[in-house]
Amino acid sequence: MMFPFEVLSAAGREVGLVVGVLIGFAFGFVLERAGFGRADKLVGQFYGNDMTVLKVMFTGIVTAMLGIVILDGVGIVDLRAVSDHAASITYLWPMLVGGLLLGVGFVVSGYCPGTSIVAMASGKIDGLFTVVGVIVGSVAMGELQPALGGWFTSGDLGNLYLYDLVGVPPMIVALAVTAMALAMFAGGERIERWLRGARAPAAERRPRLAAWGGLATAAVLGLATLLVPARGATTVRRTVAIDAVDLARRVVSRPWSVRVLDLREKRKCVEARVPGAECTPAKELGRLELGQSGSTRDLVLVGDGDVRTIPAPVVGYPGRVHALRGGFSSWRKFALTAPAPPGPRATAAEREVFRLRSGLHAAFTGVRAPPPPPPSSSGAPRRRGGGQGGCS
Amino acid sequence: MRPAEKFWNPYVAGVALGLVLLSSFLVMGRGLGASGASFRLGVAALSVVAPSHVHDAPALAAVGADRNPLDDWLVFEVLGVALGGLVSAFAAGRLKSELIRGPRISTGWRVALALGGGALMGMAARLARGCTSGQALSGGALLSVGAWVFMFSVFAGGYAMAWFVRREWR
Repeated sequence: MMFPFEVLSAAGREVGLVVGVLIGFAFGFVLERAGFGRADKLVGQFYGNDMTVLKVMFTGIVTAMLGIVILDGVGIVDLRAVSDHAASITYLWPMLVGGLLLGVGFVVSGYCPGTSIVAMASGKIDGLFTVVGVIVGSVAMGELQPALGGWFTSGDLGNLYLYDLVGVPPMIVALAVTAMALAMFAGGERIERWLRGARAPAAERRPRLAAWGGLATAAVLGLATLLVPARGATTVRRTVAIDAVDLARRVVSRPWSVRVLDLREKRKCVEARVPGAECTPAKELGRLELGQSGSTRDLVLVGDGDVRTIPAPVVGYPGRVHALRGGFSSWRKFALTAPAPPGPRATAAEREVFRLRSGLHAAFTGVRAPPPPPPSSSGAPRRRGGGQGGCS
Repeated sequence: MRPAEKFWNPYVAGVALGLVLLSSFLVMGRGLGASGASFRLGVAALSVVAPSHVHDAPALAAVGADRNPLDDWLVFEVLGVALGGLVSAFAAGRLKSELIRGPRISTGWRVALALGGGALMGMAARLARGCTSGQALSGGALLSVGAWVFMFSVFAGGYAMAWFVRREWR
């Protein structure tokens, strides 16, 4: 059985869209049942008298988190692969500011974008106007995006996860998050009881204890997955290809985020290699003890040509393992060959690639390239990929 | 008309929500979302009245230039959200046309704040690459650093602003 089913492939695209409606239906149904189709219930969170938002949100997060981390622990799902696809790149500053603004908008409008749809669907006129506002605001920001320039993609930490930051297996982080959530719930109940002046009725306490108990049990039992042998001990894992231009960008602008291992013969590596690469011919990989290292840096393997499967000593590496597409020959063509200067009608992207290549070429060979001709018009601003996320 | 049903126990609702989210990860390889669909709806509407402009603005062109912005999984998911909310409200006796507001605010002001607050959220969701559904819930469950930063910021922003709009609700 293959998880995820990835029903969005060409043949099954219609099925994927139908599944989307079904999943959305379940989402909207649960939101409404939780009371999130009403602004008075939602804003109660911010006035302290109704902790439902906290309870539902964090229970939901912890449930899904434990589910996916445990499935990863037993080897059914590849957590990092799903996360890299389903979660966006971390852009620290826009996300921080965006969060603050969304919180403000939440308490002003009474809804968040998702719940405003549920409210509108259940007849709430204020929900309807919030939906309209969200549509208008998002298009407005789309128009403003060029004016924000680089800030829109500032604080680019890549696909970074809490377990990378701390350097522990995901299951440990999941346990900690579960414990934190349960502590918050207990605290929230206290606050509500204090404001209400009485304990919640037994009919409410029983399901609560069942839910808490279930989450705590799952988290603790999940620890057993740490004993399961690391994925790849019996299966073959493939590397993720990275193009020379992307590797060059990372090596130049975020060298701390990659660790380049050159697998070729030592003599060839010493002669010419990717800046910062370590010369570790395949037979010497074992002594790097990659299974024991942290996961914050992405490994990039450079061979003579493509390196499609992860070599055995690298299989235990907890982070991402890339391979340079085309091996060192593609790097030679990209960085060590003088680039042709872009014509006057070149796009900003082509100009940036030229700058990158001529800079690398100059550094290696001491030959300086002529500057590119000035652009013929002001040109569209450079558009960096915005990253995929649950919403974009 | 029968009285409205009570809401579900929040923890039970949370577990149900988490299971829906988990199934989305497993079946589709992606999480839930809402604001992305709103953006696409806006671009689709704009394409009708100003198609050349949509082509020229890079952020809008990314979803609307050579393709139908509505032809996207998220738009269908959001359609499902609306249907699910509708059916649940109907089955629970909560389906009725009303405007929720506190006792001290007028209808006009409530509508204005709903629009304004919504617009602010629309802009914020673009910055954060998602909203509470896509980032906080989905990104949070996957332990993305940006999602957790976003989530705490949302709560901070909401609590900070609450006092200033207390007349809207109480």
